[in-house]
Amino acid sequence: MDVFDGTYGMYNSKQNTNTPLKKFVVPSIKVCFWRIRKQWKMHGRLKVKTTAEQQEAKRKEREEKLSKYQAATGRLFEKRKNAEHDGEALDLTGRILAHNSDFLTMWNYRKEIFQAFHKDKSSDEMQQLYQDELSFLETCLKSNPKSYSVWEHRCWVMDCMPQPNWQRELLLCGKFLEYDERNFHCWDYRRFVVRRANIPPQEELKFSTDKISSNFSNYSSWHYRSKLLPLVHPDMEQPQGVEETALLQEHELAQNAFFTDPNDQSAWFYHRWLLGRAERDQSIRCLHVCRPLNRLVATFSKHLKASAATLNVVKDGEVITGRWHTPRGTDTFEQVLIFEFPEHSLTPDRDQHIHVTLDTEAGLVGRECVLGAGHPEVFSRDITESQELFRSELSVAKSSVLQQELESCQQLHELEPDNKWAILSVVLLMRAIDPITYQEQTLQYVDKLTSLDSYRRNYYSDLSSRFLIENTVMQSEEGTNKLDLSGKGLTCVRHLDHMTLVVQLDLSNNRLTTLDIPVYMLQCLKLLLADNNNIESIAGLTNMPLLGRVSLRNNRIAKAQALAPLASCTNVSVLDLEGNPVCSTEGFKSDIVSVLQQIKVLDGSKI
Amino acid sequence: MSAPVKDVTIPEDAPSDLLLNKHADFIALYGAKKDDYEYCMTEYLRLSGMYWGLTTMDLLGQLERMDRQQVVEFVAACQHDCGGFGASVGHDPHLLYALSAVQILTLYDALDAVNVDKLVEFVSNLQQPDGSFYGDKWGEVDTRFSFCAVACLKLLGKLSAIDVEKATNFVLSCMNFDGGFGCRPGSESHSGQIYCCVGFLAVTGQLHHVNADLLGWWLCERQLPSGGLNGRPEKLPDVCYSWWVLASLKMIGRLHWIDKDKLRTFILACQDEETGGFADRPGDMVDPFHTLFGIAGLSLLGATEVKTVNPVLCMPEDTLRRINLHIELLSS
Ligand SMILES: [Zn+2]
Repeated sequence: MDVFDGTYGMYNSKQNTNTPLKKFVVPSIKVCFWRIRKQWKMHGRLKVKTTAEQQEAKRKEREEKLSKYQAATGRLFEKRKNAEHDGEALDLTGRILAHNSDFLTMWNYRKEIFQAFHKDKSSDEMQQLYQDELSFLETCLKSNPKSYSVWEHRCWVMDCMPQPNWQRELLLCGKFLEYDERNFHCWDYRRFVVRRANIPPQEELKFSTDKISSNFSNYSSWHYRSKLLPLVHPDMEQPQGVEETALLQEHELAQNAFFTDPNDQSAWFYHRWLLGRAERDQSIRCLHVCRPLNRLVATFSKHLKASAATLNVVKDGEVITGRWHTPRGTDTFEQVLIFEFPEHSLTPDRDQHIHVTLDTEAGLVGRECVLGAGHPEVFSRDITESQELFRSELSVAKSSVLQQELESCQQLHELEPDNKWAILSVVLLMRAIDPITYQEQTLQYVDKLTSLDSYRRNYYSDLSSRFLIENTVMQSEEGTNKLDLSGKGLTCVRHLDHMTLVVQLDLSNNRLTTLDIPVYMLQCLKLLLADNNNIESIAGLTNMPLLGRVSLRNNRIAKAQALAPLASCTNVSVLDLEGNPVCSTEGFKSDIVSVLQQIKVLDGSKI
Repeated sequence: MSAPVKDVTIPEDAPSDLLLNKHADFIALYGAKKDDYEYCMTEYLRLSGMYWGLTTMDLLGQLERMDRQQVVEFVAACQHDCGGFGASVGHDPHLLYALSAVQILTLYDALDAVNVDKLVEFVSNLQQPDGSFYGDKWGEVDTRFSFCAVACLKLLGKLSAIDVEKATNFVLSCMNFDGGFGCRPGSESHSGQIYCCVGFLAVTGQLHHVNADLLGWWLCERQLPSGGLNGRPEKLPDVCYSWWVLASLKMIGRLHWIDKDKLRTFILACQDEETGGFADRPGDMVDPFHTLFGIAGLSLLGATEVKTVNPVLCMPEDTLRRINLHIELLSS
């Protein structure tokens, strides 16, 4: 509950010349976000039953207020039109804004009045006027501490004042944050003051420590720490990182918090951040050259736009001019791009040395491969990468720290066996330490989370799907182009950017409901099995030139039109649809043929 | 020692069916009582209010009950010489109302009633060297305005009028440790701002910048035992925040991470059976703002009685199809 509730007069400022009048009462439209957050009185206002008599009295009262309000606004618009910048205008806008603090035009008029005053008033006089304005704003804030406009006007005043007193503002922020430690407007204003007054981040970090020590459950303070820590204790080796000793102290602070109140989410979110996620650099992760298609496919670690990237293809020392495009031919950001060689440039009887480079902010990155004489294809990829990448997504901290954290979280889990936050942290830490050895244990924990926290059951099932895919990719034999993800209870498919070279993909016997994911990233794919799922749509099955057979038996495809995306895979000749609702629709075969003209064999019989 | 969870309880007699016609009546009546106290007192946000009401009516399939000509004339009268729109006639121009104006005119297919070129100029002139956007000439910076700018230009087919790359860099500089976004660099994550920033990235085709699994986790943790969603940790649930969170989840392909049935129950419980309309929480006073976001939320949850809403622009999908506007979202 808001601390200002029902106590408007409690902080009534005496200096204020614009004594708040009860004449205008706020309207009862509640706009919680956007420009306006209506006064606390109205937000969360209970509907109360009233008698006809009361209603009539209220109506009369409102009618009276309204006519006064409208007279005042009418007068102000008139005055503004005549460029009258005087005390009356200041007084009247003040009266309106005190009760309708998001009336933008009135604040603007007020700013114009101040600007006009500058022309014929002394610096001392202006200082006094601005001081009065600050008092007025303080009154507004006390009745409506979450008004965007009021805080914004305060910034404006401070920047216009001849002698702004930033220390006083800092105290004011402290005071307001005592009343409501989560008021993000006030936190933002504090950051504005800190910037203007050049307050060092060390001091602010101390402020946030004090706030957290008095109440761990203060998400705003934890957030602030995440911004300050890399400034105060930078890690020389990686940007945005935090130096080790400081990091260990933070872990201790977070632990103190979640051992004190294991259900408070603030510290847990912060803890997850401390474990860190490495920012990957741009690189060409994989290159595949295909002679029959006269093209190469490049997979990048980060998205890029073909039209905006500086990409170069060099063959046997010579720059080749060809065409880069995305798998779908769209002008979108993608991780997979295709380069079409000019005709006859891949000579069949000689080794071809191919080198692709990309200009990035951090310099040139590249990858090369040699297409042997007579060979139809060749690839080159980062072999150390997949394992490291999945791990670093979870953690950059040293393994001794992770081990220690795991022990504390397990301890907490023993004390509070039903605490979901502790279990989730145990899971993430185990993943970071050794995903393969801990596989069974993590999956059991995720099952437990699903039953403890059923609202988020689909989050947890997607999480375990991701873990299983990561482990399978990590464990797949070097050189194999078959990926078997069948029978794992998958509810989603992630990490397609690690599957560029996959030729056969088995997704059968899972719990997938769509194939809307960009399967087109798998440009080498020839065979796709996805039997026995709950698939209704396949929007991502497009533009795979080598795809020859698709099996979607026992799914939930209801209409032939749902298969339309496959039309762009011109090589698909074998399609299995048995056990889908669409099979029992009238004219099933002819419908399929009209949507997918390239099909030659449907459900085992020739067309 | 454990802090109590901030939440509400849904009364047993709370409504559990969608009172479609009552809501349409509520909105139609709200717009008709031009001398009404509340109506007059909210003049300072009129264009946005009209957008909330008209979009609600369109989603309910009853837009024809509203007076098109009167609306279009009013919107046109709110345009200034600089190209911007004020909330009402004579009110100062601001990006917030530029977006509302464009949304209303798009609903009515009436963009020719205003000076579009001037409007594009107004929007692009508000972009700053760091890529951010002022809300108006007075210089407030906020990621809400970045969203307003690109949403506006996207609807006008004029996205190239601004420096999208710089605008993107500014929005990304507002990303936080939890994967969310705030008003300005350094500001705490807030689901309203997250909606704006994720919406910005959707409009500009750059959703890959979002860490969908991290942000999705934070967003789905907004769901409270009552089924409603809050806007930040340790806050009360609210119908409008339910929309900001739900729409953001939809954009990043993670809508299924919350319990849809529980949220539907919460939203439906916020209806007023007597007057129509939705409140922020069960038993509170209703208003057009929460009514739109209640209806739009139900649409995203799959309600078949209302039109399908677009999660990025909060407009009916059929309207966007008509103008051939397609925004790609992340798949799940
Ligand atoms: Zn609300």
